[in-house]
Amino acid sequence: MTAYRTLAEALERVASSRGRLAKVAVLAEALRAVGPEELAVGARLLSGSPFAEWDEAVTSVGWATVVKAAVAVTGWDPDTIRACASAIGDLGEAVSLLMPPQTENGLAVGEVDALFRSISRARKPAERGAMLEEALRRSGAVEAKYLLKTLSGGLRIGADVTTVEEAIASAFSADREAVARARRDSGDVGETAAAARTGALDAIAFRLFHPIGFMLASPIEEAEEVEPELPAFAVEDKFDGIRAHAHKDGPRVALFSRTLDEVTAQFPEIAARLGQGDGTWLLDGEIVAWRDGRPDSFFKLQRRLGRKAPEPELLEEIPAAFVAYDCLAAGGRPLFESPWGERRAELERIGAESGIVVSKVSSASSAAELEALFVQARERGNEGLVLKRRDSAYQAGKRGRAWRKWKKALATLDVVVTAVEQGHGKRAGMLSDYTFAVQDGERLVNIGKAYSGLTDEEIRRLGTRWRKTTLERYGPVRAVEPTLVIEVSFDSIQKSARHKSGFALRFPRIVRLREDKPVSEITTLDEVRELYARVSGEGADKPRSSGSP
Amino acid sequence: MTEPLSPFLESRPEGLRAPAFDAWIDPASACPRAILTHAHADHAAAGHGEVWATPETIALYRRRNPDWSGVARPLGYGERVPGDGAELTLLSAGHVLGSAQVRIETDGGSLLYTGDFKLRTSRTSAPAVAAPASVLVTETTFGLPVFRFPGREALEGRLVSACREALAAGDTPVVLAYALGKAQEAAAVLTDAGIATVLHGAAWKLLPAFEAAGHAFPSSRPYDSGPVRDGEALLAPPSCSRTEMIRKRKRRRVIYLSGWAVREASRSELDADVLVPWSDHADFDDLLRHVESVAPQRVFTLHGFAADFARILGSRGVPAEPLPDREERLAIPDSDTSASA
Repeated sequence: MTAYRTLAEALERVASSRGRLAKVAVLAEALRAVGPEELAVGARLLSGSPFAEWDEAVTSVGWATVVKAAVAVTGWDPDTIRACASAIGDLGEAVSLLMPPQTENGLAVGEVDALFRSISRARKPAERGAMLEEALRRSGAVEAKYLLKTLSGGLRIGADVTTVEEAIASAFSADREAVARARRDSGDVGETAAAARTGALDAIAFRLFHPIGFMLASPIEEAEEVEPELPAFAVEDKFDGIRAHAHKDGPRVALFSRTLDEVTAQFPEIAARLGQGDGTWLLDGEIVAWRDGRPDSFFKLQRRLGRKAPEPELLEEIPAAFVAYDCLAAGGRPLFESPWGERRAELERIGAESGIVVSKVSSASSAAELEALFVQARERGNEGLVLKRRDSAYQAGKRGRAWRKWKKALATLDVVVTAVEQGHGKRAGMLSDYTFAVQDGERLVNIGKAYSGLTDEEIRRLGTRWRKTTLERYGPVRAVEPTLVIEVSFDSIQKSARHKSGFALRFPRIVRLREDKPVSEITTLDEVRELYARVSGEGADKPRSSGSP
Repeated sequence: MTEPLSPFLESRPEGLRAPAFDAWIDPASACPRAILTHAHADHAAAGHGEVWATPETIALYRRRNPDWSGVARPLGYGERVPGDGAELTLLSAGHVLGSAQVRIETDGGSLLYTGDFKLRTSRTSAPAVAAPASVLVTETTFGLPVFRFPGREALEGRLVSACREALAAGDTPVVLAYALGKAQEAAAVLTDAGIATVLHGAAWKLLPAFEAAGHAFPSSRPYDSGPVRDGEALLAPPSCSRTEMIRKRKRRRVIYLSGWAVREASRSELDADVLVPWSDHADFDDLLRHVESVAPQRVFTLHGFAADFARILGSRGVPAEPLPDREERLAIPDSDTSASA
């Protein structure tokens, strides 16, 4: 029986080792130390997931439940625990720092597995809380830390599941590619580790309706970065939707999201559409809001998210469609190792046969051509471009350089800060979150809120200014005299009722302080309207030349 | 608004003021007369007319403000300074070289202002004295129970072994430590362990003040943007973590010395490998212990987690309330010369 503490201490060492190789070495040692019958569970826990990736079980333990259990175990009041979590920037880490000395025997690996399963089956938060409290009582600081981090859905130790794959290969002298393939096909790093130990990786085979990891793209900042390689790349629009895998065997269809959760019931119209006709395949693509034969804004699609089954009115108001852009299996035959070109040919065949929407592919031979494609993609309402090497295999669950994505900030706006509030983590106690506005005649109208982009030192220096120029306080928010101009960038702009301006920005961040700029020279609402008209293809409400000097 | 914390200390929008001495204590902006508890920039603003402080603090203040032309009044620990109906004494604070707590005594009671302090011993500063007082104004930089630091020997051991392991692996040990206090302390520890140190200019320029106080740094040299030789450790302020000085060293092991190193997040924020929670501030337990020894009737908390620590004290039956932090203070007007409340 392996103590969970052994794994938690290994994870602690992984966190403090610099470089992938060092982290792999620590994980490999930990894997070898786990007994054969606990290896599957141990490998999952080392990768930070309570269950196999394909498993639909979830351990939804809310913040309040953890705080309550921590109150019971540490003896500190909820306010202090919350303040500590905010100061440390991680609730699990904070609780581990508050843990009393361990008095009972620690948890065994198998008991942690059983705990996660019971928590996933429990119906009431109170039951989950009681289970968690009991487990924490038996834990020392380091066990509590990783138990809570695993429950919160991320270890944040600079190692992901592919690091664990490497460790499995190293620990059991298995082929790195064979381990990756087995994990992809099994959807379980645990099963993979157990198979690697006995040399049985080949026995793991691809199964349809068993979720598969997604191949991810690395970002590029400008066209020139990829110019020399451009001939090798196919270029597609980057859709602003939800990535999904569609599995089909005749009428049976399943949609899996990036988190490998099944989302079929959320998109009944897509399931119905894909279920038409014969065919057995696995397609990679994007669920998008659909209007007039083209993708609509992500802001619309957002309203379809998080609902188990959408009401008919919503289905009618915001229809969704699946745009396919890759084919990972056809007729029961996996195509992961086939080059993109072959997979694309298969996808086009399926598209022609079934009428399913398939992404368009183009190519570019220079940075200028790529730039032109980018502009066109934006005009079609898409986020940017994705470049895919025509000779590349589908590397499930990996972010590699065979796929690249290009989003680039849409534009920058000069805006004025109108309200500030405290940040979190180390920035707790610092006024680091800024709400900002553009001008509309004499008025200022808020358009967004940014959390990042300034250094701690800048934030601290400005803190004095905010405290002196506070006009009013609403709870944690301070309305301040609008005197500081900042330049913000963002990825896209949408109409929205959230802010007074009638627009909202996606991923706004502060580019620089413009203390040199008077408030009278900030961006006007008319300029924002023009920008929106340009990128959305809609007519501006009231086009007028901007008076900004 | 002026709030008297005791008859002899007022909390004004501009900061804390001791009217009996016509002086501000650790004011955030320049003033005619300042009582400075220590020479860290966030307590010792530049440009004061007159500075009352320990001789060590004055020496460090001059090194940091070479153009300063004000009047220095050096006060030794325990030296009694009479004022208008009150007496002022500086007591050791144990924070950094020269650091002091301010005690104000009257017939009607006494007040202790801790400045930044720590109770544990160190090489370059004497530990804080706990003098009984009816009103305590305490710093609370680490006023939450997650901030509990190991003992000095354990921390020194972790610093030395991290440096030795780095050197053995052929990496340059890069120690991130504040320029005043922590850097010299770390240099002294490493010197004893036989590891030579290369000091960032901000720390190097303060060495004469430490040497005048009897501390020697025989195997230290200033950083000159050149190579750091085998067997040497580089000492730099945390603010340098993303600069070329450190980043250009491909083979490095970054060791972060700070109470904030309790937070795992500081690893990514500072690109640090080894986190050593070594602080010149009192940890949570020592903050509580100091309150207990001073045994005040009333406590005011200042800096960091002031509101949280006041709440925790309140729940233990000690009336406490937070004071506004320095960054919330207004500038002291030029016309300020009067002691009137």
